[in-house]
Amino acid sequence: MEPRIKAMGIAVTEKKTAARILIRDYQLWIMILPAIIVIVLFNYVPMYGIQLAFRDYDFSKGITGGAWHGLFYFKQFINSFQFADLMRNTISISVATILLSFPAPIILALILNQLRKKRVKEMMQTIVYLPHFISIVVIVGMLNVLLSPSSGIIGYLVKSLGFADLNLLASTHAFIPVYVLSDIWQHCGWNSIIYLAALSTVDPQLYDAVKIDGASRWQTVRYIEFPALIPTIVILFILSMGSVLGTGFEKVFLMQNTLNLPVSEVIATYVYKIGIVSNQFSYSAAIGLFNTVINFIFLFAMNYISRKSSNISLW
Amino acid sequence: MRKRSVLILAVGLATILAGCSGSSGSTGNNGNSPDSSAADNGGGKGGGKVQLTGIIVKNGLTKPLKEMEWLQKAEDDAGVEIKWQEISSDWSQKKGTLLASGDIPDLIVGQGAISDADYAQFSGLFQDMTDLIQQYAPNVQTMFDEKPVTRTISTQPDGKIYGLPKYQRYWPGTGTRQYINQQWLNKLGLQMPTNWDELYNVLEAFKKEDANGNGDPNDEIPMDFAPVGTGGFGFFQPTVLLGSTGITMSDDSFQGYFVENGVVKNFVTDERYKQMVEFLHKCYEAGLINPEVFTQDYTKFQANGRGSGDTAKVGFTFGWGSSDRFGNVLPQQYASVPPLKVSADSDVQLSWSYDYNFMNYAGNMIEMSAKAKDKAAAMRFINELYNPTVSMQVLFGSIGPNIKDNGDGTYSVLPPQDPKMDPGTWKWTSTWGDAGPMYLADSLNLSLPQDMAEVLEEEQPLRSVLDQIDEDKDYYPGPFMKYSSTDINTLSLNDKNLMSIAMPKFAEWVTKGGIENGWDAYVKNCEKAGLPQNLTIMQQYYDHYKTSK
Amino acid sequence: MGHAESRGSEIWFRALLYAVCFIIFLIIAYPLYFIVIASISDSTLVSAGKVILIPKGISSFGYGEIFKDTRIWTGYGNTIVYTVLGTFVNLLFTIPAAYVLSRPEFKARRIIMLLFVITMFFNGGLIPTFLLMKGLHLTNTMWVFILPFSVNVYNLIIARTFFETSLPKELYEAAEMDGCSHFKYFAYVVFPLSKALISVIGLYYLVAHWNDFFTALIYIRSNELQPLQIILRDILLSNQVFANGVGQGGDVGGYAQRYADQIKYGVIIVSTLPILIVYPFIQKYFEKGVMIGSVKG
Repeated sequence: MEPRIKAMGIAVTEKKTAARILIRDYQLWIMILPAIIVIVLFNYVPMYGIQLAFRDYDFSKGITGGAWHGLFYFKQFINSFQFADLMRNTISISVATILLSFPAPIILALILNQLRKKRVKEMMQTIVYLPHFISIVVIVGMLNVLLSPSSGIIGYLVKSLGFADLNLLASTHAFIPVYVLSDIWQHCGWNSIIYLAALSTVDPQLYDAVKIDGASRWQTVRYIEFPALIPTIVILFILSMGSVLGTGFEKVFLMQNTLNLPVSEVIATYVYKIGIVSNQFSYSAAIGLFNTVINFIFLFAMNYISRKSSNISLW
Repeated sequence: MRKRSVLILAVGLATILAGCSGSSGSTGNNGNSPDSSAADNGGGKGGGKVQLTGIIVKNGLTKPLKEMEWLQKAEDDAGVEIKWQEISSDWSQKKGTLLASGDIPDLIVGQGAISDADYAQFSGLFQDMTDLIQQYAPNVQTMFDEKPVTRTISTQPDGKIYGLPKYQRYWPGTGTRQYINQQWLNKLGLQMPTNWDELYNVLEAFKKEDANGNGDPNDEIPMDFAPVGTGGFGFFQPTVLLGSTGITMSDDSFQGYFVENGVVKNFVTDERYKQMVEFLHKCYEAGLINPEVFTQDYTKFQANGRGSGDTAKVGFTFGWGSSDRFGNVLPQQYASVPPLKVSADSDVQLSWSYDYNFMNYAGNMIEMSAKAKDKAAAMRFINELYNPTVSMQVLFGSIGPNIKDNGDGTYSVLPPQDPKMDPGTWKWTSTWGDAGPMYLADSLNLSLPQDMAEVLEEEQPLRSVLDQIDEDKDYYPGPFMKYSSTDINTLSLNDKNLMSIAMPKFAEWVTKGGIENGWDAYVKNCEKAGLPQNLTIMQQYYDHYKTSK
Repeated sequence: MGHAESRGSEIWFRALLYAVCFIIFLIIAYPLYFIVIASISDSTLVSAGKVILIPKGISSFGYGEIFKDTRIWTGYGNTIVYTVLGTFVNLLFTIPAAYVLSRPEFKARRIIMLLFVITMFFNGGLIPTFLLMKGLHLTNTMWVFILPFSVNVYNLIIARTFFETSLPKELYEAAEMDGCSHFKYFAYVVFPLSKALISVIGLYYLVAHWNDFFTALIYIRSNELQPLQIILRDILLSNQVFANGVGQGGDVGGYAQRYADQIKYGVIIVSTLPILIVYPFIQKYFEKGVMIGSVKG
């Protein structure tokens, strides 16, 4: 780009630089201003509340008035009886989720993209995103019905495949697979939308060109379609690193029972349970902060690696 | 381009709609904060009634409050008009911001909506009602005099009264009753079991034979019990069998705590609990317990009890009452089972779970805001609720559709107007039910609805055992205890750890066995989780409670 | 690689493709079908596993419970307003911002992006946010659905990625040569080319608004302003009372228990139907070649 302009004459470039840059940038600033205002106002202004993790909550003195305790609550958490179990369970579930649920929508998008008949493709697309809208209460309710060894279809299938003793709802080994697979079932379709949209921007002429060159279908996928998805994939992957300690509360809570508790008690459910009897605002704030700091470190690291190796990054 | 014009049209439409809903929104808004209620009351004051605001945390079935006749009358009698916000879900999520913002209505109603911990944490938010009671609430005063324990429940460690309790009086002495299918016993020529060994034999017979007579000897579930939660035990679970070993549970001992001869203990590390778990494992291994007992949910548990048509599926189980447990058709097949002995030659004093206080008393049913503008009026309304004739309507519904005034000073609770509905659903739909503040004085003469009467009758076989439980020495008065906030925190954190060990082990030992080998390590673990510390704290409070009585 | 050979492998491939799609279809569609029949069947039969292909013990108790609550209609109305207005504002703020962040000449882009990403992780907590809303007089008004969280950083990142990768650099240079300002370039060149992106981001925002219940839960008191999800959630959770048995000290009704779960399933249908109707209109923007055609023009 630069050489072209230079060739047109230095004088022209200089005039352009001085006046144009100013005008240019001012327009950009206007375009981004609303977003900045909204985020500063609604996200940064309340951030003083983070200090609740380091202070006692004293209602009469407001959030900033309580006694300062420093790292007390963090230490309380790390030294607590269940800390190791909670960390292990939380990380296992979220890592398994990321590893398996991340590729699934990509593969689905590539498969659906192969469909040529418009009607079929549209119908498949519509069907696969529907489960995304089902509330988690219903998903777990359905799991309980369908996986029940005595009365559920899947439970019945499992029994007839020879695993008579396996109760999918009870086994500690089955908890993560059931959790992750039902997660994929529910969200894979919805998550594939972004990839399908990215695939739709591939120039059809490219397809024609490689076909003429005699490329096989597999080669088309590998050299045309997949590269079109790479920027999206990388960015979304970096973002998913930010959920390493993020195993959500509701689904795990609903799926817990006494038999799978050793693997199903995660940080989020622990915080919920200690909050029921006593209003431990500071303790839960500390645990929450602990969570997000670790998540952020992962994200930061992943972003750095990605920037160095592929030049695609968040910032 | 088409999309853009659609968008513009939509925005235009939306703005118009927004304008409309915006204005109606603001009028709908007026009752919810103490400040604006005064401003909007220009017209209201002219009518003479004081305008108040309230929140009620109610059961999901309960109909809108403005349809409750007794409530309208109570408000009239107190000279108030209350604008209610009715909440039946997600209270715990809303509560945090509500309290922290300091923006609460004049009155808050609901069982456990506000807790002792809240008074301590949000000091200054709630009104100390001690003086107001003396001035404006003779009914409450009467309740305190007639049942002094209600005053104990209401008084915080700092001597103030922020929340008022309820006394239901009629509820049974225990939450869990045990049932056996008498029809199956008769068919198989068996006797009602009197101890665990006999129970085992009966369950075996249920399993092997075609007890329900439908041609399939394999579809019977000999024993079933309610899903055991991860936070502790609960009603309708086999922990009542601990009574056979002599342990008296207090209010169902959710976290295992009980008192024996004045000493606070916990059964999860007790040898007798080990005995019970071994028995349950023996049954489970022989296929005598529902294999899905730890994974089914409560709906499924109840569904099993209802069998199909007039064929029963469950032989021995626990429940509240036979129609609640077995539906409309099967109760006649079942009989109540008296407490069992461990073995024929056991001479241990039998016991059960002593739940009367938990069933009938609760604190913090109604609270008042410290910023209420007309506290006298609010107190007068509260006073209305504690009039026994109003209280009975709080619990069962209005006189007229739900209760009959017999004209001679006595009342009767009527059956549901909808014949398909059971009395429990009817009660919850019509009124506040158990969620309301009330005082059903012993002097009140009220004949109970059929489902309550049935429960009390089915409790008869347990009565002899229940009656000789010494409330003084073998009961931990949980409902009446007031802890300091540091102690509540410690207790709840330790209990959380303790239950996270005990509950999975319970499930594992019943289903897979291995209690012999794992017991010692398990007990050590429980102690590391903080059990001894909790026992010490609770013993202190217990002793203090005894001496101050 | 003769024609005959590739024709044969082509047929195999098509067959395999359709088989795979069929299996995917079944795996997804059966449970959805199950929800539909469960929403009209007797709940005790459903949880006993007796309802597999056809509904049993048909009753409309569930739908009755849902629709007899007149709040449903105000709920629908409110949600439509919040969603349309909200999504419009979302796009208005987000898309230009994403464009700005994709311009390499914008010096502050890295630091601003970092500041934005930080907000995805660290926030002050519910109570300070609530106090802020209260201070701005946004609580208990419809504006709390539209202004406060109008820029979702995740969506912003996706949009920025799209602008960075799908807009050829030459395009901008050509425009710049013609003396085109950023405003003009964005409005006349970028915007028309981004149909796929705007559709996807618009869809994400739309669905987020549609499903949102948390905002109303915390910030809205009066009934007239409640969105659909709150009302459905209220109905749903209120009926889950049965799931826990002795809720407040007594039997809680065998009658309603038989049909309690119908509500669970019925709620999804009531809530999802509108999205199902809207989606096809948006879907056509994902079609291949939509954007490229415009470039040629």
